[in-house]
Amino acid sequence: MIKKWVVLVVALFLIGKAQSTEIELSINLAKQTGEYHNPYVAVWIEDDAGKSVRTLLLWREGAKWLKDIRTWWRKVGRRAPELVDSITSATRPAGDYRVNFSTNDDTGQPLAQGTYSLKIEVVRENGGRAMLRQKFSLNGQAQSYTLKATPETNIIKFSIKE
Amino acid sequence: MSKFKLFSLLALAFTGAAHAHDRWILPTHFSVSAEDKVWIMADVTASNETFNVDKPMGSDRFTIITPNGERSRPSSSYRGHRKSVVDIHLAEEGTYKLYLDSDVSYWTSYEVTGKEGTQWLRNTSKATRADKLPKGAKNVTTLASQAQVMTFVTLNAPNDNYSLTNNGLELKPITHPSDIAQNEKAQLQLLFNGQPQQGVEVEIIKDGARYRNDLNALKVVSDKNGEISFTLADAGRYLLVAEFKKPLTNNALADEMGGQIFFTFEAVLN
Repeated sequence: MIKKWVVLVVALFLIGKAQSTEIELSINLAKQTGEYHNPYVAVWIEDDAGKSVRTLLLWREGAKWLKDIRTWWRKVGRRAPELVDSITSATRPAGDYRVNFSTNDDTGQPLAQGTYSLKIEVVRENGGRAMLRQKFSLNGQAQSYTLKATPETNIIKFSIKE
Repeated sequence: MSKFKLFSLLALAFTGAAHAHDRWILPTHFSVSAEDKVWIMADVTASNETFNVDKPMGSDRFTIITPNGERSRPSSSYRGHRKSVVDIHLAEEGTYKLYLDSDVSYWTSYEVTGKEGTQWLRNTSKATRADKLPKGAKNVTTLASQAQVMTFVTLNAPNDNYSLTNNGLELKPITHPSDIAQNEKAQLQLLFNGQPQQGVEVEIIKDGARYRNDLNALKVVSDKNGEISFTLADAGRYLLVAEFKKPLTNNALADEMGGQIFFTFEAVLN
């Protein structure tokens, strides 16, 4: 009996912890020279089997261009029209963007502890593409990552706040 | 191209001659996103240089299987001197199979003193060959052959619209064609008359053959489950060519049955 109580208390504690966990992302879209179209950006989280569990962010234009966010479209977007509608937002010009997210999955349930990958895909019409990946663990520990610059992105900072 | 020339190409293909012509359908898009409907186009050609067009395969028998399994035809087509081009309207979400409908054709090969190499009689089955073979013909064999020139295109979410007929050599994707991606293992199955077929020889040739010295074709052979698997390091467009032949027993029309598949696909960038 006591054992059961202990399990329950620990479980509640973990759920409480999970709900307070936050992802902070600071994306910096690089300035380009010449003809410039705002990039399409998708940021999502995959579990350790490579399956998407949460799309955090989607900056996009019309449906015609969704396919150009190649990896996100193949793995996530094309099978999830409601999700696409609910998280869609307009594209942004070059600059620094700070965004915060809960560590919930697409259905609003807290993500279980474990290993995940943060994926960031940045695609510019008549320009380049960047695909950034960062492994992380949800393990109750605060973490902070710096993703090195690409031609499409300046340094991106990504942290898990417990 | 005249029918005769096309048949000659087929014959060459089966002799394994160095100048056997590949054929393909190359769509403008393998994967598209749209709110509603969208147009794509496709080239049809016979060529030995992936994906530079050479000879204008006709598109008269270009067939579309829509995601819900219905047969359809291109909306319009143009036959040029190097390729045929078709317009295809994708009006529903899912995967479309595009292929050139074909019949079984009969080829009788023989050798005869005074002529070098294997000789071919087109449109000649076991039943009709006796009258056409010259005196002294030896090593006479009749092949029943059929080729599938095919590809898949997908609008928004894919579905498993593979439209198998259980006839001859066929390709059944295990990895959905729209999910073949750079650095990810892809799996396909080869069937012969609906059964998994071991020993089918497959070559996978990357686009841009003209611009490299080595063809670098990836060669694989189907295993006992008829399956092949491969991992492509480069994203890009590829032509998969599969060939298989097996003896027929007690068949009135042919001694062997053979199949070829020309399957165009893209490996998506990761």
